[in-house]
Parts: sequence; C-alpha cells; structure tokens
Amino acid sequence: MSEPVINVASWMYEGIWSGLTEYFRVPRKAPSIPARRAGGGETHESFRPAAGFLGYLKFFFWLICVLILVGLIILSITIMITEFSLGVILLLVFLVVILLPASVAYLAIHLRYDTTWYVMTDRSLRIRRGIWVIHETTITFENIQNVSVSQGPLQRYFGISDVVVETAGGGGDSKQKGLQVSNQGIIEGIANADEIRDRILSRMRQSVSAGLGDEAEGGQSIGRARWTPEHLTALRDIRAEIALLSN
Amino acid sequence: MDPEPATETFDPTSITRPGSVLLTYYILVSVLTLVGFPFVFLPLYFKYHTLKYTFDDKGISMSWGILFRKEIYLTYRRIQDIHVTRNLFHRWLGLAAVSIQTASGSSGAEMTIEGIDEPEKMRDFLYSQMRGARGETGESETEAVAQDDSADDEALALLREIRDELKGMREKAGAKL
Repeated sequence: MSEPVINVASWMYEGIWSGLTEYFRVPRKAPSIPARRAGGGETHESFRPAAGFLGYLKFFFWLICVLILVGLIILSITIMITEFSLGVILLLVFLVVILLPASVAYLAIHLRYDTTWYVMTDRSLRIRRGIWVIHETTITFENIQNVSVSQGPLQRYFGISDVVVETAGGGGDSKQKGLQVSNQGIIEGIANADEIRDRILSRMRQSVSAGLGDEAEGGQSIGRARWTPEHLTALRDIRAEIALLSN
Repeated sequence: MDPEPATETFDPTSITRPGSVLLTYYILVSVLTLVGFPFVFLPLYFKYHTLKYTFDDKGISMSWGILFRKEIYLTYRRIQDIHVTRNLFHRWLGLAAVSIQTASGSSGAEMTIEGIDEPEKMRDFLYSQMRGARGETGESETEAVAQDDSADDEALALLREIRDELKGMREKAGAKL
C-alpha cells in the first residue's frame, strides 16, 4: 500500500478509536495494578500480543474470505450456465454485500489486537481483553497451580505461542468455553512465551503454600524446623550425657 | 479502568445494598429481550430488591431471593482470581460485574458482585485482600526467618538447659557410686 492510503487508514482508525472511547467507554490505556507498598520498587510491566499475533488473526481472515469468495463464484457460475445475465448480477451483488462484513471483521481484528493487554507485577498478573464486553482477569502468582505453553504449526510460523495459567478448581468444560474460562488466564499470541513462563514459574517457586488459600501468615512454616549448628551441638552434648549416664 | 490511587479511601464495610443504577441496568437488559421482558425482568426486580452485601474484615457474604433464597459467604483469603466483566450497558452506567473465583469445582464464578458504584475500587480492595497480593512471597520470607530466629533461640536455650540438667544428674550419680 502507498503511504497516503496508509495515512488515511490510520487516520480513520484513530477516528474509530476516539469514537469508541468517547461513546462506548472502551479504555485505550493499559490496565494497572495497585502496588503493595508505595515506592516499594515493584516491577509493573504491561505488554500486548506480539506483532505476529496480528498476522495470525489476519491469516484466518483472508482464509475465510477466500473460501467464501470461491463458494460464491462457483454458485454464480452454475447460475450463469442456465441464465447468464442473472449470474453476473448475482455475483456483483454478492461481492458488494460481502465487502461490509469483511471490512467490519478486518477492523475487529485490529481492535481486538489493540484492546488486549497483559500486565505483570511481582505478585500478580492481569489480563484484559474485549471490545463490546471487556473481560479482565486478575490472578496472583501465589494461586497459580500450573502453567502451560501451547503452540500450533501456524502459530510457530508466525513466531507466537499461548501461555495458559491455571488456578485450582474449575469445571470440566473448560475447553469448550474458550477464552473466558474463569479459573484460567490465557496470555495468547506472545513472542517471548518461554521468558514469561519462566518468570511466572520463578514466582511460583517462591511461594510457600499449595496455593489453596492456606493461612501461611508471614510464612511461619518455613523457619520452624530449621536447626542451626548450635542446636546440633547441644543435641550431641545431650546424647553424650545420656550415654555416659547409662554406662 | 484508569490507574486508581490506593484503596484507603474506599470503605467496603459501608456497602450493604447495590446502587440504584443496578435496577436501571436490569431494566435495560430485560427490555433487550423484547417479548421476554416480564419473564426476565420480574426475577431481576426481586433480586435487586432483596440483594444484600455484608463486608467484614474476613470475608464477604451476599444474599438474595424471596421464594428461593440464596446466601453465599466466602473469605477474602480464598479468592483465587478476580474477573471484572463490563459490557456496553455496564460501561455506560459505570457498573461492572466483579466475579470472584475460589478453588471449588464449579466452573462458574462463586460470587458475582454487581451494582457497586465504584467497581474499580471494589476490585482493588479485593485484590489487596486476596491471597498472594500481600507479603507471602519474595522478601517476606527473609522477614519470617528473621522473626523465627528468636523462637529458635528459645529452643536452643531449652536444649542447653536439658543438657545441663543431664550433666548434673550424671555427676550426682557418679558421686553416689
């Protein structure tokens, strides 16, 4: 595409965005997580899917477009065989009619990409996505039970993968409900999935509990059974005393 | 969902009833169903009028219903994930559905708090109360160990006392022989 076309397109896109924020209250900024302590040096990082995710979504868009187009052409040709003029008119009407939903879908892909935000702090993860219905999920690393990374062949081509973070519980139908499953957070379409997974895992390892709401106030369970060399010396002395006593 | 300051000014214990905008929201939702309006609206109307929240220092309870009463109680510390869902009407009215998930087996949310005037503050309050948002991980471990040192010292002192007692016993026994 030439530069003026891109300029006009981005200008239109900005216009749509300002309309969305103005009338439909779609937040454009990244979400934020309140810090535990003011000025406590907690990291707060927000990111969105990698550029490859946009390509990945657009691939499906073009695939469906081509499929519908091929179907329509075949349909029109079969009509053309019997009645030529009607077939041509139908084909033109189809092409015009399909243009509107296609452009809306194309726009929706861009909006979906731009409304997806991931925020990570030292303690928690927040995922926000959605245009008409905005879903926002907050999970603390303490509660995470497992982390999985998945990547399909097409996703590998675009250099992206999905990181799925799960907490305890959840029903068996989690696969069917897609992205809005309540006990998991899906960080989809990121390029540095391994790094994100390692960061989540390292946070999880620091956790002292099973992540099931155990009341580990201040982590008392850690220090309890910790014997220092002095304790051991005292215990050895006691053993020696008893040994002497029984002789 | 702009950055909120702290939740200090937000006092959830004062919340007992949903805001009246919730009724507006229920009306809007019911109107959308067209023919289904009376069937959808009546239960929601009664839900709105009987909905009660109680926030104490340990947890939340929520109850509603006339014929079929329902009451849910959960503690802040069992909260696993917080979901905030806002559709178009929610956003226009400044509402949100704050769903709370615990570790139980049901796939849906255990509790959905609706009709709070400041849903972001509610979410931040719940976030500050839920597990893992406080000092369980990271630097707090060293703090905990430091605290436990005093207790360990007591154990050490006890061990030394036992040793000295035994020593005394042995010496006494040795003197008798």
